[in-house]
Amino acid sequence: MNLAPPDATTDARRAFFDARPASAAAVDLSVRIGGLTLANPVMPASGCFGPSLGRLIPVTELGAVVTKTVFGTPRGGNPAHRLTEIRAGMVNSVGIPSRGAAGYLAQQHPHYQALGVPTIISVGGHRPGEYARVVRDLAGSGVAYELNVSCPNLDRHGADIGSDPDAIREVVRTTRLETDKPLIVKLPVLVSSIADCALAAEEAGADAVCVANSIPALPLERYTRAPALGNVIGGLSGPGIRPIVLRLVWLASRAVQIPVIACGGIETVDDALDYFSVGATAIQVGTASFGRPFAMVEIVRALQDRCLTDGAGDINALIELWRAE
Amino acid sequence: MTVTPEPSTTPEPAETSQLAALRRQREFAAADEAAIDGLLSVRPPERMPRPEPVWDDAPVLVHDIVGERYHWLVLATRTIAATALAGQFLMITVPPKGGERILLPRPMAIHRRHPEQGTVEVVYGVAGRGTTALADVAVGERLLVTGPLGRGFEFPDAALPTATGAQQARTALMIGRGVGVCAVMGSVEDAARLGLKATVVVSGRSRANLIGLADCAELGAEVIPVTDDDGSSRMPALAARLRARFDAGPPDVILVCGAGVLARLAAELGAEWGVPVQVSLEAHMACGLGYCHGCAAPVATDPAVEGPLVCVDGPVFDAAL
Repeated sequence: MNLAPPDATTDARRAFFDARPASAAAVDLSVRIGGLTLANPVMPASGCFGPSLGRLIPVTELGAVVTKTVFGTPRGGNPAHRLTEIRAGMVNSVGIPSRGAAGYLAQQHPHYQALGVPTIISVGGHRPGEYARVVRDLAGSGVAYELNVSCPNLDRHGADIGSDPDAIREVVRTTRLETDKPLIVKLPVLVSSIADCALAAEEAGADAVCVANSIPALPLERYTRAPALGNVIGGLSGPGIRPIVLRLVWLASRAVQIPVIACGGIETVDDALDYFSVGATAIQVGTASFGRPFAMVEIVRALQDRCLTDGAGDINALIELWRAE
Repeated sequence: MTVTPEPSTTPEPAETSQLAALRRQREFAAADEAAIDGLLSVRPPERMPRPEPVWDDAPVLVHDIVGERYHWLVLATRTIAATALAGQFLMITVPPKGGERILLPRPMAIHRRHPEQGTVEVVYGVAGRGTTALADVAVGERLLVTGPLGRGFEFPDAALPTATGAQQARTALMIGRGVGVCAVMGSVEDAARLGLKATVVVSGRSRANLIGLADCAELGAEVIPVTDDDGSSRMPALAARLRARFDAGPPDVILVCGAGVLARLAAELGAEWGVPVQVSLEAHMACGLGYCHGCAAPVATDPAVEGPLVCVDGPVFDAAL
């Protein structure tokens, strides 16, 4: 990163907003997700973005933004502590507080719309049949829906909906009846076969899969052995999970024809290119944005720079250049 | 508003007595949490504008040890120094040091603001991996900081010298413990600027661990230093001392940070004296902007509805019995 030094009149944020040369914007980084064309393949991971981040970074340089998961009815979220950091990464058990579909539309969606970048709405449910209802209640808002199926299925004693290909099929099939917009299925990590789960999503009519959610984990406080999280278990994220998710993205990409959106420990353009090289079409950035709010925009700019320096005409040519032999 | 978002990773205890000390520390933390149970509510938005944070790549001008266990940072960051309000905080990203990767930025109170110099001061204690790595940052290096963040302390209208019917000097009582003193120091600065008389209870383990004595002297604030080693920081000694000092002429507002038991004491005194109390909280945070929802505030709400967050609804809350 080459930040202009802060001087008497500005700060590094201002310099970052001003830093983009017009020539770079001419590079074609566009990708297609179903019928949707995004200006570039970089977007935030659900839960790791909010309109308030729009003050810190030029969000319009992103391909899309993804909302925190919206449930049908309000949820309070988990007790404190909701997050901790261990050597392996960040572990969160925020518990997806949600204002419900109506609350989202009234209070949050206008702030997303004001960002001037396509909004993908993440949707959650406690049972496979609930997703379709939430999408119906969202009344056409958003450019696409990301179905967060890493939710405990209350019809199946709490097993993740996304760990069961039949449940994935039911979620996608019922939701497909409610909307023509692209459906992205965000899969959990702990499944017996990521390929079967991705195939189930594709067969039922999904336009893409997102691989993957955070990894279930139980962080203990050192020495006292007390749970570090109020909910005891949480989801591990950050660069430490990258090789685990790379494998899953590789497996899913070989199994399905629809785009695979990679999500797992991406911090830099080279992390993104790792995922592209094993078959990803787009990428999501989560944990990295907390420590470096500009991480996503930096990746977009670096992709543009790589295209220019490598003489790649568009993102696909760049991916081909950097694909493993 | 001063904490490091991580489980305790103090060095491996060589003796079981150290393990016992860790357990005591945990019990103390639980008791501290219990002390604020039912006290807090979100302050209605008043005069204070919403924060307009920036991030900056701030050169470290000073990085020294103060007292026995604290570190003092002076950061050059003109926009933040010019816009920070009392009681607001920064998210400080810890650069990779010695192979140690710290993913989450650490929330830290702004201790002093120097808008004319374009600098802010931060004081922190080493509590875990993040602050251990932060302590290795050298003068001349740069730190990525985001701020100013949160809704800070605010003098109620009745405490301002311009308040209608203000016959005599208005007074503010600040109570801080450990690095919690930093959260209230911005209000000590404001008091000096606005002409309020400030009294600051500075609490710590020992005299060598009291933060902000020189700052209070510079700002013309009265200091009541209290320490654990002579028992003066404990209840009921401290409560009795404050009642003796203020019963005849109570302060117009009480601002607290650093311990739940002190927040409870302030709420009790506030009720006796009929004055408002504000408390700054610490929490584990990832974003500092409200979008990660990681810092649920200990404010009683309907469990089906999302409660307030420390970073955007606080870190300063109203406290009342």
